[in-house]
Order: sequence, then C-alpha cells, then structure tokens
Amino acid sequence: MTDAPMKLTVVGAETPLWRKRAISILSHAALIGASILMLYPLLWMLAASFRPENEIFTSASIIPSEWSIDAYFRGWNGLRTSFGVFFTNSFIISILSVVGNVLACSLAAFAFARLEFRGRRLWFALMLMTLMLPYQVTLIPQYVLFRQLGWVDTFLPLIVPKFLAADAFFIFLMVQFFRGIPRELDEAAMMDGAGPWRIYWKIMLPLSTPVLATAAIFTFIWTWDDFFGPLIYLNQMRDYTVMLGLRTFTDSTGTSDYGGLFAMSVLSLVPIFLFFLVFQRMLIEGIATTGMKR
Amino acid sequence: MTARSFETGTPAGERAGSPSLWSRIWQQDAPGYLFLLPWFIGFFGLTLGPMISSLYLSFTHFDLLTAPRWAGLDNYVRMFTNDPKFSASMRVTMFFVIFSVPLKLAFALGVALLLNRGMKGLPLYRALFYLPSLLGASVAIAILWRQIFAGDGLVNKFLALFGIIGPSWISNPNYSLWTLIVLSIWQFGSPMIIFLAGLRQIPQDMYEAASLDGASKWRQFWKITLPLLTPVVFFNAIIQTIEAFKSFTPAFIISGGTGNPINSTLFYTLYLYQEAFGFFRMGYASALAWVLLALVAIFTAFSFLTSKYWVHYDD
Repeated sequence: MTDAPMKLTVVGAETPLWRKRAISILSHAALIGASILMLYPLLWMLAASFRPENEIFTSASIIPSEWSIDAYFRGWNGLRTSFGVFFTNSFIISILSVVGNVLACSLAAFAFARLEFRGRRLWFALMLMTLMLPYQVTLIPQYVLFRQLGWVDTFLPLIVPKFLAADAFFIFLMVQFFRGIPRELDEAAMMDGAGPWRIYWKIMLPLSTPVLATAAIFTFIWTWDDFFGPLIYLNQMRDYTVMLGLRTFTDSTGTSDYGGLFAMSVLSLVPIFLFFLVFQRMLIEGIATTGMKR
Repeated sequence: MTARSFETGTPAGERAGSPSLWSRIWQQDAPGYLFLLPWFIGFFGLTLGPMISSLYLSFTHFDLLTAPRWAGLDNYVRMFTNDPKFSASMRVTMFFVIFSVPLKLAFALGVALLLNRGMKGLPLYRALFYLPSLLGASVAIAILWRQIFAGDGLVNKFLALFGIIGPSWISNPNYSLWTLIVLSIWQFGSPMIIFLAGLRQIPQDMYEAASLDGASKWRQFWKITLPLLTPVVFFNAIIQTIEAFKSFTPAFIISGGTGNPINSTLFYTLYLYQEAFGFFRMGYASALAWVLLALVAIFTAFSFLTSKYWVHYDD
C-alpha cells in the first residue's frame, strides 16, 4: 500500500498556498487531538498499573509520581489461582484454535475455490449463510451436546469447533485469496500427475502465507479475547482463561485492589498489542480487503 | 465463480476413461467432499443440527436436567405479553443499535475523509485510530471503561477541571447505556479502514472534472464521494448492526452481569444468557434466540430490499 499517489488533487491548483497550509495544519491538529483523546484512557490505565495504589483515584495524569511494579506481583497472585495458570490456559486454547482454524478452513476453502464436485454451489451458499447466523441460535443445543459428551469444564468445546471450520468467515477469506492464485499452477502440477491433496499442500498453502497468517492472527486475537465461550464452558478456576480471571478479579476483590486489576488488564492486552506492533500492516490490509468487523 | 473452467481442464483420472459409475463419482466428487469433511461435520453437527434442535426447544420448557416438555407457543406468548424484562432488553438493544451504529459510522467516515486528503503520516494515524478497535472487545477494556465512567473516574476528573461535578455515569440509569454507546463509537477504527479503502477506489479525475466545472468541495462530497461510497456504507452498516445486536461482553462486565441499573444495560444477549445459564430456562432462552435471529434476518432483508434505492452500484 503506497499512500503517495493521491496527493492533494482535491485542493485544486488555484487554491493559494497559505490556504493549503492552513487546512493542512488544522487537519493535523484535529487528528492529533483525536488521537490523544482516544488513546488517553489506554495510557492512563498503563500509568495506573505502575503508580502507588493511593494515587490511582486522585490522579488523572498519565505520568505516575513514582514508578512501582508491585501491582503486577499483587495482581499475579491476587486470586486463589495464579494468573500464570490463566495465561497458560489462554495460550493453549488460542494456539490450538489457530491450528484448527487454519487447517480446517483452508481445506474447505480449497474445495470451494478449486475442486469441481456436485453440490458445490449449494454448500458454498449455505456456508455463506452461516456467516450471518447469531451464535445464540445454536448455543443451547451445542451446550447440551458438549455436556452429554462430558466436555464441560474442559477446553474441548472451545477448540474442537475450530477443527471443524465452524468459523465460516475464515473459509470465505481464504476462498477469496485462493481464487486469485493463477490456475495454470495447479494445471501444470496436475499434468505432472499431482492429485488434489498434493496441489493443496505443495502449491496452494505455500503460496497463501499472507492469508493464512491473517487468519491465524485474527483467530488468535478473537480466541484470546473470547469471553462468552469460556464463561459458559469453564467453571473451575484452574481452567480459567485470562478474560475469566479478570472478570473474577473485578467481582471477588470487591474492587479493592485496583492497581492489581489494572496490572493484569494491561498484561492481558500485551499479546494483542504485540501482534498489532509486528503485523499492523497485515491486519489493516486484512480489514481493508475483506471488511472484517474489528 | 470462476472454478467452472476446471471442467475443461480434465482431471488425470477421467482422461484415462474409468468405466464404472462408482469410480467416476469417486474421481469426480470424492476429493471435494473429502476436503469438506471437517466443515461438513461442523455444519451438520454444530450448526444445522443445533439450529433445528433449538427451534424445537423454543416450543418447550426445558431445564437441562429433565426432558423437554412441549409448551406450544407459551414461550413466545409470554415474551410478547407478559415479560417486562424482555421488553426492557429489547428497548435497550434497539436504543443501542440505533445510536451506536450511525454515530460510529459517522466518526469512521469523517476521520477517513480527513485522512484521505493525502495527509502526511497517514499510516501512523490509521494505526492509532485502529488500535482501540482491535483491543476493544477485551474484558480489560470493559474494566477500564467501568473505571473511567465511575463517580470518581477519569471523566469526572476532567469535568472537575471546569468546575463541573459529573454524576456516576455507570450507576445512573440515564447515562449507563450511553457509556456503552461511547465505548462502541470509540472502536470506529475498522469501519474507518474499510471507508479509506473505498475512498481510494473513487477515480480522481471525477473530482478534477467537477473542480473545473466550479463545483465546491461540499457539492463534490454530496454528488461524487457519498454516492460512490454507498456500497461501502451499506456493507459497514450491515456488519456493524449485526455486531451491535450480538454485543455482550461490555454490558456484562460493566453491569457485573446484571444489566442494571434498573435494567438500563440489559442487552438482549445478556438477558438470554441470564435466562439460559442463570435460571436454566433453556426453552425460553431458545425462543429468545430465534426472535433475535428473526430480528437480524428482517433487518438484513430490509436493508437489501431498500438498497436499490440508495446504494449506487456502477455496472
């Protein structure tokens, strides 16, 4: 994405230079002001996690008078079970979800994009329809099913659906990308006697790393953030994810240890923020080209 | 769907000319269905099956422990005639959708227009504005919000600088829902990115021609930018509205799972959760889910039907 070629044709050539300057300065001022306003709460929370407890509610500034990391230790052990366990659980669930989603969705997407079989259009249309389906409609029977399987209080209800490509959005994303890969490549491979599996594994996947990475990152972030799934399926504190741990923290402490709560909140955002720093371009392009919801 | 050209590029097996019908089906259809196998299990086992089952449950009383008891239309009748919490949650959700979606899209479009003027530092601004939208779904942000809008929170500290004593926004039923609307608007980043991508598709020569004809910026916006952008507006509006209907976590965290004060943040999804997993009225909760589906479906159908009157498709 280059941002250069659309320079100021909007402000016509007749506009005097001083006016262009003024408009530019005003726009920057507005944007900088808006950025500060938007990011202030985040910076304030960051600062609150490092400042002495008694200062949290008296100060609106984003620079603590003195820095301390006590709150991180207090928060880490603020509940019966350590946040170390919650972070481990969240990582296990998120990473397995990524593996499942990327595998299952790319298999389905390959079938939809490249294979010819009877009923393909019908299945594709049904897949698209599930995109719009509110999850509440399948929630209760799914819960009953997983309960009968004895999966409540395990990670399975959160992970297994990912291996069954339940998140159709990513199938759609990958179908779009696969269709852009030149067909001559698979046809040449076919001439050499390669079957669909080899074409999928040796040609499509290696050429699709951008879309696979986008799907992997968004799966990780959405699973990491997921609150509803863990809320209904995980009741034992040793199984909690970070999000459930945070929620329990807000309830149980009677909100006495705000420093610890903010410290753990900040820590819970760190993995997402790292993705943002490293893969920002990829995330933004993913949204721009596919219209993702967040 | 361009995949049709595959029919002419004959698969190797077919060229050999397999005689039996079964082996032809195997050659032709099996790979597709094998690749789709995980999705099929998911589609039938986790989507279609549960949908049918949930429709059935919506006509029963079901507490998870004993078998469902047929109840006919009881659940639906109760919902629309004798359930103040249902009407409260419906009002709250509608209010939230009607205010948060247009305001969020207006912010997204406004900032996108500003950024699209060839601003220096566009990638930086774009990233900064996107950040809240990426982080926003987290429980951590809901916790932060609860503090910001508390009686002794950040917002009131700023107001105090101007001598204004703000209320406790979170626990005042007049404002509590607005704090959630503000939280939603704060996450305008992803529709903004989609708007930016759309703005880039508009050919620059249209503006040049309009400028030569002496059209003002204002007129150019209404006559060129907005009409050409309507497909993107349409897309964003649908996605964001469905998301708003499904919103759950912020209301749950900010109200501690209650939907209070006086049900003012009782989102529809929150009420459904309470009925299902608080009171184990699974039949009633299923009926609530189907009403939600009907709402989303009606909204989507209505948008598509009216779209031909206001969405500009160039073909």
